[in-house]
Amino acid sequence: MLVLAARNLFRNTRRTVITLLGIAFGLMMVEVAITLQAGQYAELVEKGVSSLAGHVVVQADGWQDGKDELKVLTGASAVTDELRAAFPGATVTPRLLVGGLLTSPRGSVGVGLSGIDAVAEATVQEIDGQVKQGTWLDGDGRGIVIGEKLAESLQVKLGEKVVYLGQHGTATEVQSRLFRVKGIFRTGAAEFDGFLAFADLPAVQEVYGTPDVAHQVALHLGDPEQTDAALATISASLAGRPEVDVLPWPLAIPDVVGMIAVDRKSNNVIMFVIGSIVTMGALNTVLMSAMERTREFGVMMALGLRPRQLARLILTEGVLLGLLGAAMGLALGLGLSYPLVEYGLDYRDTLGESYESGGIVASGLLKGRYNLPRGVGYAGIAVVMTTLSALYPAWFVSRLQPVAAMRHT
Amino acid sequence: MSIVSCRGLTREYQQGAITVQALRGVDLDIAPGEFTALMGPSGSGKTTLLNLVGALDRPTAGTITVDGQELGKLSASALSDLRLRRIGFIFQSYNLIPVLSALENAEFVLQLQGVATAERRERVMATLAQVGLQGMEHRRPGELSGGQQQRVAVARAIAGRPALVLADEPTANLDSHTADGLVETMATLNRDHGITFVFATHDPRVMNAARRVVRMVDGKVAEDTRK
Repeated sequence: MLVLAARNLFRNTRRTVITLLGIAFGLMMVEVAITLQAGQYAELVEKGVSSLAGHVVVQADGWQDGKDELKVLTGASAVTDELRAAFPGATVTPRLLVGGLLTSPRGSVGVGLSGIDAVAEATVQEIDGQVKQGTWLDGDGRGIVIGEKLAESLQVKLGEKVVYLGQHGTATEVQSRLFRVKGIFRTGAAEFDGFLAFADLPAVQEVYGTPDVAHQVALHLGDPEQTDAALATISASLAGRPEVDVLPWPLAIPDVVGMIAVDRKSNNVIMFVIGSIVTMGALNTVLMSAMERTREFGVMMALGLRPRQLARLILTEGVLLGLLGAAMGLALGLGLSYPLVEYGLDYRDTLGESYESGGIVASGLLKGRYNLPRGVGYAGIAVVMTTLSALYPAWFVSRLQPVAAMRHT
Repeated sequence: MSIVSCRGLTREYQQGAITVQALRGVDLDIAPGEFTALMGPSGSGKTTLLNLVGALDRPTAGTITVDGQELGKLSASALSDLRLRRIGFIFQSYNLIPVLSALENAEFVLQLQGVATAERRERVMATLAQVGLQGMEHRRPGELSGGQQQRVAVARAIAGRPALVLADEPTANLDSHTADGLVETMATLNRDHGITFVFATHDPRVMNAARRVVRMVDGKVAEDTRK
């Protein structure tokens, strides 16, 4: 029956080849789209995890919900040391995030100031590499690294003094601190370059008014697959501190995760439309092919073939059509995706070097990434949809009466 | 005991508002091993009778018994099974499956019967040799002449060792020489292997070879002659 189905498929070679190309082309487009999508999602997650969180974060209870500046983790250095001891191969980054005014003799601008461990942060973020003038922080507590546009707004140059002003914590008075511009970075995203500033953690703790506090102590693992295990270990060790939240990265960067989920859903609608068009093409081929053979089916039934065997023959033809189309589509899709994975899609002319997306600096060079499980999954869906398209023709032939079918011309 | 027994067989068709009576109370018995020709003008009911006996159609009234089974009491599935195991068909226009070779066409029924591959091949090769198609086993219908295709159809009809072979105008599309050969082949199969043949035919060669001729007129048996 399999041989018969395979040969039946190529009775009208041109029609079958056109249908196969339709399935393959549709699947190829889907494969290319998911490769680009996978690349973008991976970049968003990796950059989100590295710059906004870690694979596991330790934060004050409730800070995640509103990022309330008052909800700080006390004893941040102890937590940091504990994590570093428990995960020697990982990087631990304590962060204190405050908002205030940065002033120079020539202007003042609202900023987001991150107090960080400069050495640890440089190993997980790209920011140190984006310093275009001067150098990255070295832990002396006096320097500040600001964005290029921020420097332009303040009209300050490297080495010049700026003053940070802010009212933080329970302080009733505005705190101020003098910094010297140690480095000027350019991410390419105006939202970041005009707003962000980095300083050493103790200096920011000083303007916050409370020593040894952080909003987040983040653990960055070499292998993200170890997230669950690390989460369990840290949760167990901090079980005695109810004022502390221990979160995995999907909960620590919900905006990024949510944005990906929404994007994936809208993409699924497009994939469904493509799939439906392909299915209609396959339905046309299988149905036409079945109707053309009505007389032959009558003869086969006269010879003793049962209606359900006839239906099975048609379904087998649908499965074979789907398998062939899916194999071609998968091969074409993976082949066409290769340049996207290797060289990327260059949108830097329109998007700029980088652009802001969900609080993350994403590159204007969109690089794809193979997602074989999803790719094969979509190929499987193509086979299923093509098989489903054979259901109606199978039902149609199973209802044929031998005499009436044999009279069919 | 008859292999085919028809009693009061009536078949009516509806053509728009008109009711066409294709068969009007046919009584007919066919004994095992007979070589019977149903003859008569077009529209006399030969093909309709063959279709009813072959369990391809159901009568409006009357009963048909084939190989001891009353067809009216059988389900569609049981009728399929009866056709598969007890009845062979030969059609006017060969009706071979074009994507299968002569060998594959002839073994199609055996495959449906579930005969093991080795036995199937052996039996079909022997059958094809019997109908004079040695060396052509792997040709597809498109590579065979009309006569050769009809021989494949004969091989397909008898390969499953049916009790009864029904042939509807099997020589109608063949030239005279080829038709002679085919009739001789079927007569030999009947004589040597006792296969029961029932033909619907206009062909005098078939009528000459037949040992019984049933003449039909207007859906009735007008004359039944044994030689």
